[in-house]
Amino acid sequence: MPFEPREIARLIADSMKRYGLPFPAPSDVAYSWAKGISLPSRGSPMLYTGALYQLAPYIVSIVDYTSLLEGSSLSSLGLKLSRHLPPSVLRIAVRPREEVRAYVERVLRSIVKLLERSGIRPAYAYEDDMYSGVLLYDLGLDELFAEQARKVFKALKARGAQEVIAVDPHTTHVLRSVYPKYVDGFDLSVRSYLEVISASAVGRGEVVVHDPCLYARFENVVEQPRKLLEGAGYKVLEPRRSRRMTYCCGGPIEGLAPKIAKKIARVRLSELSEKSSLIATMCPICYINLAEVASRERVEDIALLLAGEVK
Amino acid sequence: MRAFEEIEAALEDEEFQSALSKASLGTQAKVEEVLRSRPELLALAEEVREIKRAAIARLDELLEQAMNSLRAVRATPHLAETAEEAREIVGKLIGRGKLVVLSKSMAAAEVGLRPYLEAMGNEVWETDLGELLIQLEGTKPMHTITPAVHMSRRRAVELLEKAGAKVEGESIESAVRAAREFLRGKIVRAQAGITGANALAADTGAIVTVENESNVRLVSSLPPLHIALVPVDKVVPTLMDAIKVAMVQSAFAGLYPPTYINVISGPSSTADIERTRVYGAQGPVEQHVVFIDNGRTAARKGALAEQLYCIRCGRCQYECPVWIHTANRWGGPVYGGPMGLVWTAITYDANEAAKLSFLCLGCGRCDEACPVGIPLSRLIRELKAYAMRDLK
Ligand code: SF4
Repeated sequence: MPFEPREIARLIADSMKRYGLPFPAPSDVAYSWAKGISLPSRGSPMLYTGALYQLAPYIVSIVDYTSLLEGSSLSSLGLKLSRHLPPSVLRIAVRPREEVRAYVERVLRSIVKLLERSGIRPAYAYEDDMYSGVLLYDLGLDELFAEQARKVFKALKARGAQEVIAVDPHTTHVLRSVYPKYVDGFDLSVRSYLEVISASAVGRGEVVVHDPCLYARFENVVEQPRKLLEGAGYKVLEPRRSRRMTYCCGGPIEGLAPKIAKKIARVRLSELSEKSSLIATMCPICYINLAEVASRERVEDIALLLAGEVK
Repeated sequence: MRAFEEIEAALEDEEFQSALSKASLGTQAKVEEVLRSRPELLALAEEVREIKRAAIARLDELLEQAMNSLRAVRATPHLAETAEEAREIVGKLIGRGKLVVLSKSMAAAEVGLRPYLEAMGNEVWETDLGELLIQLEGTKPMHTITPAVHMSRRRAVELLEKAGAKVEGESIESAVRAAREFLRGKIVRAQAGITGANALAADTGAIVTVENESNVRLVSSLPPLHIALVPVDKVVPTLMDAIKVAMVQSAFAGLYPPTYINVISGPSSTADIERTRVYGAQGPVEQHVVFIDNGRTAARKGALAEQLYCIRCGRCQYECPVWIHTANRWGGPVYGGPMGLVWTAITYDANEAAKLSFLCLGCGRCDEACPVGIPLSRLIRELKAYAMRDLK
């Protein structure tokens, strides 16, 4: 059978046990971006990335690799990483793409800048900035997810966090809306950085916003990004499907069914680009999926746009 | 797994892809416009949400009341625990060598009724045009309301001609005209008509259906025997409730106003001679209602219970980014898309549904679209967790 989500789940579970990460990556992958920025390592509010931005370059390379298999006998549908692939092959597959790695580092640094500019000096947990378990939850690996959630909660509490500032929609969502169901006594207040920063005028021109599904439909982070972009000097344009009815970038199934995911990304990109060739994303997965299919369009993370860091 | 090969083929089929993209963009815009211009329909949907919640909570009691109400209007109720039982009940009522007409019913597809009746030696025809095309193509309904959404006009004409309908010219109008003539010939001669139901009122035994083609009217009134297949989750307390369900279903399918809403309470009758009531006037002499459980009662206690509020409007399908590229090729042997995954788990096989659930993005667009507030993406994630339940 070509379609083996359980095989992928096994690889991920295995990697979680060995590395604390959903796929093999260097142990400092979560916090190497913060080298040279000195933030207090204890206290509140605590900046918590959950490593999703940092893992994005690895996700891209898995996708690159698996797309190669598409059409081969291993995969109809491009549903890959079948049982025929041993973990050693996976390890080769996950060499990160350098340009994406550099990009997400800039995004994270910009987020710190935006917080500081708004008068917020967060603590940062460095080696305790652990993976949140988003993918485990999405794949239905409930026990592993619960275990990870408890670990993350404990580590954040141990470092004195009461308020947590998350940087992407998936991590914001699991921490704010899912952890409380899985972790006894969860009492952290969780916000996205987009809910706490203020704008300063750094940009101009038109930009079309791509609402990520989880911010728009599950976490009610809808008006803040628009206000921030306007405050930064941009004219904000809306695609045909936006706000609560926003349209997915296809990212969540990129690893399992890249053909469908690409089709979805193309549909979304084309409706965004009807409004502007500059597209603002707020999620590393959206960024990657839309940037992959973009040609004339420019896809930029909102943090860079708000910080005036777009090149 | 065959399902994935079919999805793969659908992805490569340009005709399929462009038909679906056109249909879904069109329907999305249509529903949006209906709801924007008539906010009262959103309020009505809220009401239906509460009606369904309350009805499912006291389903056993309502079902009993519905059976009594049906007897009171001289209809005959039956209860089928399984798909097999449902087929057998209908098979016994119809017998062999009959001409049978069907109006589009996902319940009929769920229990595999058409092939069963055919195997018994009956001639069986679908009378909804889309469903007739599906019958002729030998595939499955690609959407809950618009089964032939994936088909081009060229293909439709080809299939109709193969069946013996005389299509003059290439236009869609001439295809529809030919189908009308063809089907009329069947409907007037049919010995039995089988329909589904949008809702059934426990207080009166009234069946409510909503449609545009008028085939449900013909199928339920011309033949001497009318059989309605009613999944038990469609029972609501009152006739008013049932009509509200039909209105909301139609609005969220983008077909508003509905051309016809039909209310049927028992077989036709007259008391015009000496005030003596005689059954079988111009409509059916006999009417039967087959309630279908097939996993529904059991689902009330499980993690998927909220799916039982579903009024089958199909909006979650047209709004789903994945469904738009796969149609009902994704979701199970009968149902498809977001609602389809969960209905497959309830009425067919949870393992099959769980395998297919991994194509779900979890984007939540279906949750937002659903008139009765079913948290589809959460239910589908439950299916994923079910597939992984032994992995630690
Ligand atoms: S789940 Fe909701 S949106 Fe989907 S068919 Fe049922 S009622 Fe309609």
